Amino acid sequence: MIQFSQVTKRYPGGHEALADVDLVIEKGELVFLTGHSGAGKSTLLKLIAAIERPTRGVVTVSGQNVGRLPQRAIPYLRRNIGLVFQDHKLLFDRNAIENVVLPLDIAGVDRRESLKRARAVLDKVGLLAREKANPISLSGGEQQRLCIARALVSRPALLLADEPTGNLDAGYAADIMAMFRDFHQVGTTLVIATHDERAITALGGRTLHLDHGRVGEAA
Amino acid sequence: MRTWLRHQLGALQSALTRLAAQPVAALLTALAMGVAISLPAGLYLALDNLGRLAGSLPAQPEISLFLDPAAPPGARQAIEARLKRPDIAHARLVGRDEALAALAAAQDLGDVVAGLPENPLPDAWIVQPQDTSRAALARLARALGKLPGVSEARLDSAWAERLAALIAIGHTVVWLLAALFAVALAAIAGNAIRAQVLARRDEIQVSRLIGATDRHIRRPFLYLGAIQGLLGGLAAAGVLSIAGWVLQEPVARLAGLYGSTFHLAPPGLPELAVVLGLPAVFGWLGAWTSVARSLRQVEPPR
Ligand SMILES: Nc1ncnc2c1ncn2[C@@H]1O[C@H](COP(=O)(O)OP(=O)(O)OP(=O)(O)O)[C@@H](O)[C@H]1O
Ligand SMILES: [Mg+2]
Repeated sequence: MIQFSQVTKRYPGGHEALADVDLVIEKGELVFLTGHSGAGKSTLLKLIAAIERPTRGVVTVSGQNVGRLPQRAIPYLRRNIGLVFQDHKLLFDRNAIENVVLPLDIAGVDRRESLKRARAVLDKVGLLAREKANPISLSGGEQQRLCIARALVSRPALLLADEPTGNLDAGYAADIMAMFRDFHQVGTTLVIATHDERAITALGGRTLHLDHGRVGEAA
Repeated sequence: MRTWLRHQLGALQSALTRLAAQPVAALLTALAMGVAISLPAGLYLALDNLGRLAGSLPAQPEISLFLDPAAPPGARQAIEARLKRPDIAHARLVGRDEALAALAAAQDLGDVVAGLPENPLPDAWIVQPQDTSRAALARLARALGKLPGVSEARLDSAWAERLAALIAIGHTVVWLLAALFAVALAAIAGNAIRAQVLARRDEIQVSRLIGATDRHIRRPFLYLGAIQGLLGGLAAAGVLSIAGWVLQEPVARLAGLYGSTFHLAPPGLPELAVVLGLPAVFGWLGAWTSVARSLRQVEPPR
């Protein structure tokens, strides 16, 4: 489903965030991305979602060369990807459920159906009681769960999660990871950047270890 | 189709919400637009009324048909028959003696006339045509002038021509002003939209990250521009009706002094549609150019 061949990403300014990365992630796989801060985990995820373009090499997702995708095709690529951002990227001018509904609005789903699906997914992340709350009034962990809800509401075939449990206590982290396992079991491909060793051991799956922009398969 | 409609409705709703979120800014923009629109629109209405006034003046355009004194009676009868046709509203024969007497009386030229060895005036028909438009008048005068036995057909329409020329110039000025203010309108709308786009940076960036097309992002702003234009049109209609209301009485009084019942006519439905519709179109256009540019600022293409 995802293939990197000889991928290098150099940011403007010259810093090389990824160097000669080769990897293949099969459809339905659950992959953890680990590594020190600044190792290039977020960069790798951004290349998959066409948020950044590779400086060299080819990134393909579902057979499409993502780096070469014309601007107008990118939205349709992203609609099949659920993104959990490290910095949440929630909108503070609307309440929680409106944030969750956003991807469905963009896809043109019927409003009533959207709200129903949004409530279901808010229930799963334990935020149904806060559906009317403004995200700014939510705690860091709650904001993170809201972001996860938004990523899951459109039932994407591919979920990219950047530190999804970073701000969560052990209980919620385990709940979220259990949700991810459920998604994995129904065939969703998941790539999760995390430091959460416990989650990795609990869920199994493959671990890719990044060290200064280079990939090694960890045991 | 349903999805398309849903997108449009969603965009419209979001545009209205955005507008309602900043009512004062929206109001000020509408006022600026209203003033810009009401200048050409007001001039147009003034010309319209002037044209109507010219049409209602008592002086009917006339064609004087001078007959050749040497014309045979057959030709004279043919002319008379021609003047009975339905394109002639009214025709009156003024004999040369009657004409001379009228001249003597009207211009106080009794002595001069009495001193003439013989009557220099020809017989003449005074013709009032049915169709008094300028082109029709000229056509009829030419046609009548060519009849055998007619020495000259003179069109009494110098004032009408001058007024028509003035009104034509006025119309050109209206179009120039309208074009100028349409650009101003698009600029005002564009500016308002630019502020909106920059204020919604986050929303635009996040929407893009989760799969919004540029068209989806643009749509509410286009609606916003069109609605803003429409509000500008409404403001212009307001400005014009206030102006009309203020002018109504002085104009009626002035007309009264000339024994006329002339009064200002309000704009008709088509004019109103133009005053509301065109600003909406130009608001939309202004929004379009502005959004295209501002979106590039919010996230430059990779
Ligand atoms: N937009 C950018 N411009 C320049 N340099 C960048 C940019 N984004 C990331 N970098 C650099 O690239 C390197 C990799 O960054 P990245 O965000 O991928 O790391 P990460 O593994 O996600 O780290 P963390 O665990 O702290 O989130 C870092 O050194 C970072 O400073
Ligand atoms: Mg990161």
